[in-house]
Amino acid sequence: MTLEWRNRVLVVIALGLAALYLFPLYWMYVTSLKTGSDIFATPPDFLPRDAKWGNYGYVWTSRGMASYMWNSIVIASGTTALTALLGTGCAYVLARYRNGWIDVALFLVLMLQVLPASLMITPIFVGFSQVGLLDTPRLAVILALTAKTMPFFVVLVRATFMSVPAELEEAALVDGNSRIGAFFSIALPLARNGILVSAILIFMQAFGEYVYSKSIIQSPTLQPASVGLNSFMGPNTFEWNNIMAYAAIYVTPILAVFVLLQRRIVAGLTSGALK
Amino acid sequence: MSDELQIELIDVDKHYGAFHALKAVNLSIRKGQFVALVGPSGCGKSTLLRSLAGLETITAGTLKIAGEVMNAVPPRKRDVAMVFQSYALYPHMRVIDNLTYSMRLKRAPRSQSEAAAKEVAATTGLEKLLDRYPRELSGGQRQRVAMGRAIIRHPKAFLFDEPLSNLDAALRVHMRKEIRSLHDRLGATSVYVTHDQIEAMTMADHIVVMRDGVIEQQGAPLELYDRPSTRFVGGFIGSPAMNFVEAVVAEDRRTLVIEDLGSVPLPGGIMLGAGETVTAGLRPEHLEISAGDGPGLHAKVDFVEFTGAASFVITRGAPGLTVFNVGRTTLRPDEAVRLTIAAENVHLFDRETGRRLGA
Ligand SMILES: Nc1ncnc2c1ncn2[C@@H]1O[C@H](COP(=O)(O)OP(=O)(O)OP(=O)(O)O)[C@@H](O)[C@H]1O
Ligand SMILES: [Mg+2]
Repeated sequence: MTLEWRNRVLVVIALGLAALYLFPLYWMYVTSLKTGSDIFATPPDFLPRDAKWGNYGYVWTSRGMASYMWNSIVIASGTTALTALLGTGCAYVLARYRNGWIDVALFLVLMLQVLPASLMITPIFVGFSQVGLLDTPRLAVILALTAKTMPFFVVLVRATFMSVPAELEEAALVDGNSRIGAFFSIALPLARNGILVSAILIFMQAFGEYVYSKSIIQSPTLQPASVGLNSFMGPNTFEWNNIMAYAAIYVTPILAVFVLLQRRIVAGLTSGALK
Repeated sequence: MSDELQIELIDVDKHYGAFHALKAVNLSIRKGQFVALVGPSGCGKSTLLRSLAGLETITAGTLKIAGEVMNAVPPRKRDVAMVFQSYALYPHMRVIDNLTYSMRLKRAPRSQSEAAAKEVAATTGLEKLLDRYPRELSGGQRQRVAMGRAIIRHPKAFLFDEPLSNLDAALRVHMRKEIRSLHDRLGATSVYVTHDQIEAMTMADHIVVMRDGVIEQQGAPLELYDRPSTRFVGGFIGSPAMNFVEAVVAEDRRTLVIEDLGSVPLPGGIMLGAGETVTAGLRPEHLEISAGDGPGLHAKVDFVEFTGAASFVITRGAPGLTVFNVGRTTLRPDEAVRLTIAAENVHLFDRETGRRLGA
């Protein structure tokens, strides 16, 4: 087999896998455009007979999606902002100082990463209810989520800071800057890409979060779209087209962001994020 | 050069945890002096320089700059400028912003900092590069920016940490001259770290040789060359390196007998008894290839290296001797040679301690 043929075979395999992987996404979009009877047709149609764009408008108003989407955005933005604010400083310290305590801290940070949300939620719920945080449930979710996303963020951003040579900051110190000044004028701008990319990943993660929101937020007016989608799907659901329209509205923005920024995201994760 | 002391280190110690990196270092640098810090890798040159800059805190002793004790003063208040081996240019700033960084920190008016940058750019030949980013510069140009960033500050002292080691040989020789003439023009005080003893010999007024965190010897370049106070300094200063052989004082106490090789004259004014063993240091350029029979060192040529202007003859045996011979030699491998040396050029060191013997 020549090299060219082998490449072709590999491309075919890759396309096949991609198709398999992306099929649910495709099915979501197709179903969201079908009529109520089309969805139960056998054999199923792989393209809708006539696209019912009205599904989208119908779901948006009938399910009150504006409020759900808004809550998702509030929770995701809050989590991202808080994680970035606290995590950047933490990652910097963990990158620049080396001693036994730092190693212990790093170990604990990684340890947190291992614990699943469904296990954490009970102690978090009890703790939050005792300090009265459940009265502001969205804030409570933001805090809980920040704790969960923090390790991931810190580990990524720490690697970014480690790729910024310490000598640059030392040069700034000798040039007349303070320790904090050197951080803001040298380390931070040079780590900007890595921080941005990590923040975007955190945003996406928080945007789709379900477990904490479901457990902590009781009032539907404060729930995010992930919980809203779930309550849409009762045991006797037959409105699959509308549910898929809901899901499509929910994920399309975040998907678009990812597609637009994927080059930068991949580059930011793999390179030292310098420049 | 005035007599005023610009930098003073008194019994300075530096520990990294259990590791003793600087041991009782004493050093006085006068205003306007160009001091070279040399020594093998890991001897503490960078540590000493970084302590001067305030990037490391010394564990004990006193460090003064311009008469003020600086032990606990942060780098930004020491008013020294440093040129790093990696240059440490700020990658996200253009050349001009790199140059004016220190002035912007002092909130100097824009017109003033730009004028200063133009002036420095003219001195360092960077006029056409001011709008570029560091990644768009060659190694030599980056080096100049690093220099410019130091010059613009008019600091109390310049600290250089092997600033030329990333340049090619020709550029290194050129920059050597340029840095030295810049130093003279600015009337600056400079401390220059290098592991290249030729750089130190050609540039410095005062050389400090370090080894394992200790200052082995300091003095004017030729002083170190003429009278190395230890075997280590003898071997470190001068190129090609000094030959060392074990030598026994002969019965007549006029010559030193070197096993398997012959003899060399014993320098005067040294109190040594017959039969005592010492280490003799013979510089390659002081060994002469002599004709005919007679006293001296008798050896066979192992191989010859030509550099063009000179040739190095290396003799057989352990230890092989290196002989520096001006011009081209016709000697061939296996040819017998007789080497002679003047008594005043024989350096003697204690066999155990390595200390210099005699004057
Ligand atoms: N932060 C540190 N922690 C522990 N030991 C260190 C630290 N920095 C330097 N050292 C040790 O101190 C010694 C002196 O280091 P230094 O960097 O001053 O050497 P140097 O003379 O500049 O060598 P080179 O010519 O290779 O640059 C070395 O043995 C080094 O391992
Ligand atoms: Mg060094």
